[in-house]
Amino acid sequence: MAVGLTWNVYDANTMTQAEIYGKVLCRLGEENKDIVGLSADLAKSTKIGEFAAMFPDRFFNAGVAEQNMFGMAAGLAKAGLIPFVSTMAVFTTMRAGEQVRTDICYQNLNVKIIATHGGISFGQAGTTHQCTEDIAITRAMANMTVIVPADGIECANAVRACLDINGPVYIRIGRGFEPNCYTTDAYGFEIGKAVEMNPGTDITLICCGITVLQALEAARVLEKSAGISARVINMHTLKPLDGEIIRKAVAETRRIITFEDHNIYGGLGSAVAEVIAEYGKSCAFARVGLPDCFSLVGYPEDLYSHYKLDADGIIEKVKEVMGKDFEDDDSWEDGF
Amino acid sequence: MPITDQELRELRGHAKQLRKDIIDVTFWAGGAHIGGALSLVEILILLYYKYLHIDPGHPDMPERDRFILSKGHAGVGFAPMLARRGYFDFELLKDFNKFNSPFGMHLDGNKVKGADVSTGSLGHGLSMAVGMALGARLKGRSWRTYCVLGDGECNEGSVWEAAMAAAHYKTTNLITFVDRNKYSVDGPTETVMGIEPFADKWRAFGFIVKEVDGHSYAALSQAIEEAQAETKAPVVIIAHTIKGKGVDFMEDDVRWHYGGLDSDKIVEAKRYIETAVIG
Amino acid sequence: MASHEEKLAAGLFLHALFPLLKVVMNENAGVRKKFAGVNASVQFLARDGEGDVGAYLKFADGRLDVVEGTCPKPDIAFLFASVRRMNAMLGGKPALFKIRGFYKVPLLLKVLALLMNLTLLMPTARPTDPEKKRLKVKLTLYMMAASLSQFNKLGNPDIRKWTSMQPERIYQFSVAGREDMAAYLRVKAGRTQAGPGLYAKRRPFVHMKFRSVDDALPIILNEVNMVMAVEKGYLALEGSPEYARDIGNFMMQIQSLIM
Repeated sequence: MAVGLTWNVYDANTMTQAEIYGKVLCRLGEENKDIVGLSADLAKSTKIGEFAAMFPDRFFNAGVAEQNMFGMAAGLAKAGLIPFVSTMAVFTTMRAGEQVRTDICYQNLNVKIIATHGGISFGQAGTTHQCTEDIAITRAMANMTVIVPADGIECANAVRACLDINGPVYIRIGRGFEPNCYTTDAYGFEIGKAVEMNPGTDITLICCGITVLQALEAARVLEKSAGISARVINMHTLKPLDGEIIRKAVAETRRIITFEDHNIYGGLGSAVAEVIAEYGKSCAFARVGLPDCFSLVGYPEDLYSHYKLDADGIIEKVKEVMGKDFEDDDSWEDGF
Repeated sequence: MPITDQELRELRGHAKQLRKDIIDVTFWAGGAHIGGALSLVEILILLYYKYLHIDPGHPDMPERDRFILSKGHAGVGFAPMLARRGYFDFELLKDFNKFNSPFGMHLDGNKVKGADVSTGSLGHGLSMAVGMALGARLKGRSWRTYCVLGDGECNEGSVWEAAMAAAHYKTTNLITFVDRNKYSVDGPTETVMGIEPFADKWRAFGFIVKEVDGHSYAALSQAIEEAQAETKAPVVIIAHTIKGKGVDFMEDDVRWHYGGLDSDKIVEAKRYIETAVIG
Repeated sequence: MASHEEKLAAGLFLHALFPLLKVVMNENAGVRKKFAGVNASVQFLARDGEGDVGAYLKFADGRLDVVEGTCPKPDIAFLFASVRRMNAMLGGKPALFKIRGFYKVPLLLKVLALLMNLTLLMPTARPTDPEKKRLKVKLTLYMMAASLSQFNKLGNPDIRKWTSMQPERIYQFSVAGREDMAAYLRVKAGRTQAGPGLYAKRRPFVHMKFRSVDDALPIILNEVNMVMAVEKGYLALEGSPEYARDIGNFMMQIQSLIM
């Protein structure tokens, strides 16, 4: 009997949940004939392959040449089309960083960027394929809208909504196996408007991307076993940032911790800190993310656990900030 | 100097072992870039067992030849080869991809003995190689730099920037290889983003081009020795290879750019490797 | 003297498989009736140089408990000259053994009939009756969780290494939408715990969700492998694909030990 599994890169694509945005893009492509797609020899893993299959004449594979790809996207936008460009976050913001900034942002072109494998979500591939700097980089590019959806459902919403903006949009997602934290897309997604996922009064956890679901889990446990009421905010749009909800959290909970799959410098934490500092009211504040280091190799779930970005890590940080301790459930007998 | 029968036997033996190791490491890693590692075997074996001036016991030896695997995703082949060559314990590969392992899809030059640089992002290796070659010349050293690129990788503009510099600075102490296995991820290179006429491009950039059968030790070794003797211009050896070479169900199949294997398939693969005569 | 693997297999039979007899008792009214009012102990014991290996079934007041070790005065005792023979018998293969108390025919017949229900778990069992199909899938899901947990508790080095590196995680198996057709494996720093139902205290780290009872069967019978099952939609894998694969690997290791 065979132990293990035989599979190849083309099989793997049927196994992810990131299908959703691919399908949404196809539907949008049907409605709007100006939408075109581009990829850099990664059409299969970035889900834009679905669009490519459906509209082969409106899809351009740039090959392994990201700088040229973003340059072409700029040119296509100039010609009146709406390019959706997809490649990994690291290559988008750094390899082709100048094209994104100078060709696309500086000219304020209507290009939609879907940056995949953000943060350390591609754990096994190591630092060369990870990106813990992209939020910092794209926030600092004028004219850019920066969105980090919490899950595949929110990504689909973001893809739909970004068409309402006539300008560059950067949407950053993971590797596609991330669990959904929403059950429906009809929760009122609006670019620039953060979502309060869970009400709370003792402390606020501001998150984006994969940490949103983890924070919700953490909040549940904190409520049950420690009586801590944690407000969870999904700050999906990093630019323009929802300052209102942050100021409200400062005033009402007086404790804020940010969690992100990104370096602690320049990302969500820094963005929130900017608002808190300018607001002027005192607040206990901490940032959790990659502690200004390059990640270890490992499967992403193990790395999130290590860098305290999973539910357990979040609970631990809350305990630390609140100076509290609580019981653990420890029965290990099988229950059959 | 032509390869002797004795050498051929040994090289084939090492290659056979490396192919089996690639299969094993793929299993331990839970999946890897198998196709592009298998196509590279003959080049790796020939360099590391015959031509590279190295000492596994002293990986930082100042006079060693440098090797850059610009197509860094072939790490699944590079790592076991380094282990067998004596740079580190083969057993460490069992934790490939696992938490905090020094071994992941793309080898970390800071953590893996024998890996001169960290690669993985395509298009970086040749630039670093040119820099190394210039450095060696500046310091009056005789060690050489060897750089292996993928053919899909040659879509990257930075490769051609590096090529232009290599020709301009006549870095003949740099020998470049392209593993021309004719596939990238999304399909055949010529369908995704054609690079032909490939040899002509290198010539236009000022290189001397040698096109060889990338699985023939005789052809490869002749090309390498000619390159080593060359002083007029840098040399690129375009090695025509077969993606997945050595495992019949993988050969020339784009899907095996990356994949995983169950224990039955592993047995099947190793059986084929055992009987195939390559090189 | 039994090999480490034989002891492992015995442990799986006695501590993962036997407890499922309780499920059979609960689900099957006929069986429950047979054991109503029965108060007896049935011992399974294999001789071994390093210490006899066994457990006994304790029937009391219509309930069944599985207790490790030896019972002082069992009503019936299945005695095996070696662990290998006990494993063979429990695995549904021919084996030589002695039955002490064989003259207690009514009880013996009831026990044998009860044990026969476990043959539903064999890869050769292909029920057509919907009730039997449901029971097969349910028992299989329970067995998956229970055997993985026991495999770790019994100390198999591969799974031990795997569990020791993990923070608290839940591996959930279920048939979509059926709380009664679900089992979970809880893992944390080397320890494991398995149980029925959908684990409520923590979100599953990996959730293997079979679309329906009928879709689960081809996978359980190994007619379709995991990749194909997911492609066809029989099985949805939520969570880490690498860890889901690890579960699949361990399941196959366990299967080759006991089947």
